[in-house]
Amino acid sequence: MPGFSGGGVGGGVGGPVSAPPRPFRPSRYVPVSAATTFLVGSTTLFFCFTCPWLAEYVSAVIPIYNAVIFLFTLANFCMATFMDPGVFPRAEEDEDKEDDFRAPLYKTVEIKGIQVRMKWCSTCRFYRPPRCSHCSVCDNCVEDFDHHCPWVNNCIGRRNYRYFFLFLLSLTTHIMDVFGFGLVYVLHHRQQLDTPHAAVTMAVMCVAGLFFVPVAGLTGFHIVLVARGRTTNEQVTGKFRGGVNPFTNGCLRNISHVLCSSQAPRYMGRWRSPQAVEVQPPFLRPSLTEAQLEAKVLDNGIQNDRHSTRSKSSLDQMESQSADAEPPPPPKPELRYPGLPRADTEESSLLTEAPPTPSMYKYRPAYNSPGRNHTALSHPNKMIRGESLDSPSPSILQSSRQPSYRSEPSSLDGATVVGGSVGARRGGGERGEGPGGPGATGVTGGMSGYSLTGRSYTSYPSSLVLSAGGSRSSSLRSAQTAHNPLATLQSEGTTDTSYKSLANQTPRNGSLSYDSLLTPSESPEFESAAHELSPQKPHALFPLATGATITGQSEVVSPSSPLQGYTSPFLSAQIAQQREGQLLQGSATFSSPHRAYLRAVSPTPPSSSGPSETHHLLQHNQDSTSRALRAPSSSSSSPGVRSLEPPVSPPPRSLSLGKSHSYTGEAGPQHKPRSTGGGTVLGGGGAGGGQQAPQSTSRTVVANHTTSKPGGGVKKVTGVGGTTYEISV
Amino acid sequence: MRQQAAIAAKVFIQRDYTNGTICQFQTKFPSELETRIDKQQFEETVRTLNNLYAEAEKLGSQSYIEGCLACLTAYTVFLCMETHYEKVLKKIAKYIQEQNDKIYAPRGLLLTDPIERGLRVIEVTIFEDRSLTR
Repeated sequence: MPGFSGGGVGGGVGGPVSAPPRPFRPSRYVPVSAATTFLVGSTTLFFCFTCPWLAEYVSAVIPIYNAVIFLFTLANFCMATFMDPGVFPRAEEDEDKEDDFRAPLYKTVEIKGIQVRMKWCSTCRFYRPPRCSHCSVCDNCVEDFDHHCPWVNNCIGRRNYRYFFLFLLSLTTHIMDVFGFGLVYVLHHRQQLDTPHAAVTMAVMCVAGLFFVPVAGLTGFHIVLVARGRTTNEQVTGKFRGGVNPFTNGCLRNISHVLCSSQAPRYMGRWRSPQAVEVQPPFLRPSLTEAQLEAKVLDNGIQNDRHSTRSKSSLDQMESQSADAEPPPPPKPELRYPGLPRADTEESSLLTEAPPTPSMYKYRPAYNSPGRNHTALSHPNKMIRGESLDSPSPSILQSSRQPSYRSEPSSLDGATVVGGSVGARRGGGERGEGPGGPGATGVTGGMSGYSLTGRSYTSYPSSLVLSAGGSRSSSLRSAQTAHNPLATLQSEGTTDTSYKSLANQTPRNGSLSYDSLLTPSESPEFESAAHELSPQKPHALFPLATGATITGQSEVVSPSSPLQGYTSPFLSAQIAQQREGQLLQGSATFSSPHRAYLRAVSPTPPSSSGPSETHHLLQHNQDSTSRALRAPSSSSSSPGVRSLEPPVSPPPRSLSLGKSHSYTGEAGPQHKPRSTGGGTVLGGGGAGGGQQAPQSTSRTVVANHTTSKPGGGVKKVTGVGGTTYEISV
Repeated sequence: MRQQAAIAAKVFIQRDYTNGTICQFQTKFPSELETRIDKQQFEETVRTLNNLYAEAEKLGSQSYIEGCLACLTAYTVFLCMETHYEKVLKKIAKYIQEQNDKIYAPRGLLLTDPIERGLRVIEVTIFEDRSLTR
């Protein structure tokens, strides 16, 4: 059947890449069975008991009309249930490799002038296209994800949204018809209400009346969505609350797109034509100019050898480049690009790269397999130590110039490791979002049937987003993970530093990556990374609040010391708020996980004052009275905190419960008096590990809290889920 | 002697989302292919593909009629008829095959139909050119 494919059950059957078989869960089939029973059962009763009289005494057209409407409803119901919503097949290994080692968690893309983020899906191994979301029920990324509908036990996405919408329309019509004609029957049989026919008709009317309210409400909701060109996911997560939807083409075009566009093809279960082309050397070559011969050919994508050897060869290559000569590269790479001498033009070629997202490569290892973990890990550690001896800041500056985030070896490896070490762990993030799904359903009144398990609207910590100012950096969003306070070290161009490789890691042990990453040798990079911080990227210091401070204590006496000289008002204020939110959350609700985390990391603390310092801070959080003594600073910082709260209050609390560190907004309403005092303390304490830091940083907080908006030219729109859209003004 | 050359690298041409979610690929010439094929040639290929996908997704009379017919027949028409999009996809597959045969295979490259990757990327496989190592 060309039109049908199993929608709700697993991935493509016999497709190029199929999802692993999922366990059979009978509870998933209860709502759809109930819906089918009610629909078919009630309509059958209506036809059997009410329609004969109607056909005879009113008109013969009535049953025919009702039958047509019912068949239409049933057809759309079946299509919505059984049609593949637009599931993306898992990306194959080779596609993943080019991005795996050092790619950020988010990729930003500009759609009609609006910045839209694409998130890395660790399950499906690609950056989710815009409007795509990963459904945790179906365990698939779905194109133009609307929602997962339990009543049809299927995701509603690009391919079957039309059928779902028509199902709603036709069902509303059908319910109204059944109720209306039933009413006609009952009104004509007022004296004979005790007959079985009348009784059944009244029962059917009750069922119809009962279902009419939610179904009609849902239909109205979707009519509005279609007219506005939004998906349920976007509407409920408030992505376009600021008002600009890049995906709309006007009301009429939106409606015609939904109703009249050609049926989109399915991606799963496609017949793959066998490769009929024979590729044999010798190959034709275009005529090469001298400049082209001099240009370095980038090493992109899959190689025949393994990942570890590839990274090794990349390292060799990089080291040879630093000699700034034109010797032939080591034998292995030469095999791939024979006859082409490599020059040290990596930067120039990187600058011409296509991807629009500049980022720092900070973290090399990928965690796709335990084996790879070890081999990959050894390299960055090696790199860190080697690089940390040099001055990291020039390398950071270098990296910020580079627009691409391809997995290219570069001299910024040393600096990059730090970012990677504090990058987001998307694995944890994905898990953390799950509970957010059901929580989000409560938001939509009457739409109780939806389970918004899409993972794209991950970002609860919208306060962090807001506090991040104009930065598109979504690395803060990776603060979705409960175990990842070191969500973001951002010391690069525009975007985030949460890394795919960390997300791909199995989220078993929160401390695993940090143990290995947070070694003393890393701290110099961290420190120098702080130099790079611009006003719009304050979250570099955010991770300090927990783990990083512990291990980085002695060397990094001052991630804050460069900041003191730097005096970015926005930066300091944001740090205070972030730290406050995070530690408040940690102390108030999740003190034990935090301490567990601290314990886990503390095996390698250079100074024992680190953990005790943070504990000290945690305890101080709860002691509001002593903090109130810092009234001048606290009062000045509080407006900044409070101003962040209102936009953040809508997100369902359930979303944030699992995430310890996020959220000034979340903590704010609950701990208002404390937060202001706590913020100052935290702003002081968290920024640096050393004892002298608190006072100095709090002074900067006091002095410089006023600015809280990013630089001009960019309007930032944030949504409930914390997703940020930037609109160039 | 149907031994294929060994795969040296793969380049992935990403989607171009500047105009929304319509299916378009970036026409920017990747640097890895600089030594293998003419820039014009490659961009021409990608542009043609973009045009074909635009034709597939066009809201024209054909798609409208198809939709109406499907509604009237309770979608049973999908059992016997091929949708407009599928027809264009076949055209695209043929075009890619032809391009591979004529232009890319002689240069040691191979284009993969993006539908196999969920219309997310065009995969260009670069084959090892052993003849030059001699």
